[in-house]
Amino acid sequence: MTTILSLKHISRAFPGVRALDDISLDVGQGTIHALVGANGAGKSTLIKILSGALAPDAGEMTFRGALYAPEDPSKAIRVGVSTIYQEFNLLTLRTVTANINLGKEPERFGILNEQVGRKRASDALARLGASTIPLEATVGDLKVSEKQIIEIAKALVSKCALLIMDEPTAALNESEINSLFRIIQDLKKQDVTILYVSHRLKEIFALADVVSVLRDGKMVLTAPVTEVTPDSLINSMTGRKITGAFPEKYTVLEKEVLRVENLCSPMAFEDINFSIHRGEVIGITGLAGSGKVELGKALIGDFPIQSGQIYLRGAPFKPSPSRAKEAQFGYMPEDRKKEGILEELSVQRNISLPSLPDLSRFPGFIQFNKERDLARQEVDELDIKTPSLNQLVRNLSGGNQQKVSLAKWLATGSEILLLIEPTQGIDVGVKFEIYKLIHKLSSQGKSIILVSSELSEIISLAHSIIVLFNGRIQAELSGDQTSEEEILQYIFGQIKKEKSHEER
Amino acid sequence: MQSQKKNTRQKILEIIGENGFILIFILWIIFLSLTTTTFLKSQNVFTVLRQAAIVSIAAIGEMLVMLLGGMDVSIAALLGFSGIVGVSLMVNYGVPPLLAGLVCVLVGGLIGFINGILVTKVRINSVIATLGMMTVLNGVALAYTQGKTIVGPQLDTIAFLSRGYIGPIPIPVILMFIFYIIFYLVLNKTVFGARIYAIGNNEKASWLAGIKVDRLKILVFTVAGFLGGFGGLLQASRQGSATSSMGNEFLFPILTAVILGGISLSGGKGKIQNTLIAAIFLMTITNGMVLLGISLYVQGIVSGLILIIALSLDRLRYRKR
Repeated sequence: MTTILSLKHISRAFPGVRALDDISLDVGQGTIHALVGANGAGKSTLIKILSGALAPDAGEMTFRGALYAPEDPSKAIRVGVSTIYQEFNLLTLRTVTANINLGKEPERFGILNEQVGRKRASDALARLGASTIPLEATVGDLKVSEKQIIEIAKALVSKCALLIMDEPTAALNESEINSLFRIIQDLKKQDVTILYVSHRLKEIFALADVVSVLRDGKMVLTAPVTEVTPDSLINSMTGRKITGAFPEKYTVLEKEVLRVENLCSPMAFEDINFSIHRGEVIGITGLAGSGKVELGKALIGDFPIQSGQIYLRGAPFKPSPSRAKEAQFGYMPEDRKKEGILEELSVQRNISLPSLPDLSRFPGFIQFNKERDLARQEVDELDIKTPSLNQLVRNLSGGNQQKVSLAKWLATGSEILLLIEPTQGIDVGVKFEIYKLIHKLSSQGKSIILVSSELSEIISLAHSIIVLFNGRIQAELSGDQTSEEEILQYIFGQIKKEKSHEER
Repeated sequence: MQSQKKNTRQKILEIIGENGFILIFILWIIFLSLTTTTFLKSQNVFTVLRQAAIVSIAAIGEMLVMLLGGMDVSIAALLGFSGIVGVSLMVNYGVPPLLAGLVCVLVGGLIGFINGILVTKVRINSVIATLGMMTVLNGVALAYTQGKTIVGPQLDTIAFLSRGYIGPIPIPVILMFIFYIIFYLVLNKTVFGARIYAIGNNEKASWLAGIKVDRLKILVFTVAGFLGGFGGLLQASRQGSATSSMGNEFLFPILTAVILGGISLSGGKGKIQNTLIAAIFLMTITNGMVLLGISLYVQGIVSGLILIIALSLDRLRYRKR
């Protein structure tokens, strides 16, 4: 097997952080090479260096035997290294054809040759077994999985030999993940090398030939997948032992805090009824498009409700973020970067933001010492890893940003928390910390609405589970008496469970 | 092809549905043709189109910049400044009209180029950069003319540009349609056009795809400058003179035409034909009120209200989706 990409002693430092420390790595041509690592291990930095977005401080790379030092991403793409980032880089207002040909539009004297463009696009889609995607569709209207295929098609048109994929399954459901895997296997057969960055160990074992582990900026392991186990990977990622066991759930208290009656929203969900008690964790799950995220958002006023009623502590509640805040109902949105945090503000201000009125003195002067104390308290409590309270949140790792997004609501003393996909795109180490946190909050009597696609997390954390299918409640299950297999049956709409009549 | 199956009526309904302002435009036309006897006379129609010519040609430039997600507020000042340069060359320096006209357009392009450099290389926000440029241009124009009107018999040679006819059709109207056809093709059939939309939609994705974003932006600002410069030439021809304030009246209609025509303020979205329709709409508002004999003092209120209604209808439709 020949080596297509070779890294020798690559290092990169940022002020105060040594992000990559003497990394060496060989990637074999035509292999699927997985790269794993905990938050802040240096995965993002490595991807940026490979894709040409960042230059290393030291070290040397070779690609197909030649020195590889791309000045910017377009140079990397030109020599055959394409990167698909977690956040897609697509023209959402333009057609599939325009996106796939972007930057290399077939032309003569500046006039577009639309026929050739369409041919290229349809060929690329055909190679990916995705000819069903209409060439004239607007990309913004496509499903996430289809957008991803467009990204891969773009890479194919630019003749990529090495495709770097950063957490490609983060926003996909089970069946979409399976078809992505088929595509990746096909690409491998076509001699495209894949560098697959993921935190989902299951996928690595299903897909990869070789796996490399980054920890604290160092490459601690590179081995064929056949020679490692999930446990051994976790051990080398974290350097400590994590057991898969979840802490035991606390008993739910009697007092009802939130009740939803006959909630309907056009196109998203219908006839939703449930209630949640003090200290209860309620899990809402379903496929992408089942309405679970919309239902979560509707509770906080971020999605329109057509009819039905929500009661907060017995009183009718008309959802809106500001009323929710007054009612100590906090919300951690799905899209952390766009909605959960303010990237350009400090950790301190992000945490204190909803509490500022309480931290200020007439007529609105912020008492900075109080603000600092509050932020400090939450940073310690949640173990947020930041060099200082003044650090900009965009410089934190994904998992720590997620903690900041939660911390601001804990700082206001929220009693009910709505968490939408709280561990999406977060590595196992921090994931487990967030689980422990949810568990602890529940034990403090806080009620948590957990909207998630990850069944293991729902089962382990939630007292009761609602499964949505096509916008309707397909089943209501007890978290203690169900299994992933059972939920899956409801999730795909194969069977339906009527509401059980036993009283809690 | 699915689109060809639709009959014309459906197509027309679709176009109106997408662009609320066109509906108001049509209602306004119907209203005027019922209440006045002169509105639909060909002479009046050509008057409206002729008045629309300068605004709509400069609006192409503004539209290109706004498709990129920027805004050029210097376009009207640029138009006036180029006009002064052209007229002054002819009147004060005896430069042949053809050459002077060419310089007039080139000066516009040069100013546009500088705008482009400020926005891309110096990284100033386009509104701020062009606001500065506008102030400078207006200042220079005032200092140079000393507030006086530049006028001379040499200008008769360019009068045909705004007052001439080919057959029954005024030359500025022909020029207007030629420009719109050219830029329709540029935006829809060329790589340049495809990339303008691409950058306006997602600058980073375009950059990652190897597009030289800065170079293209500079080019767009330059083209906008050329168009503004040509507008200046037309205005000089129409006035038969040049004054320091000759561009001022254009800023509001140019921006309104582009925004009313549905160009997204965040870029990447919009059709050039709608800019033309919007520019003509604006002119029928003033024209119609004159025909209706509405007092000059009330005209501002009415035209403002019509615009607000047309824009609201657009946005409400958009929100419903």
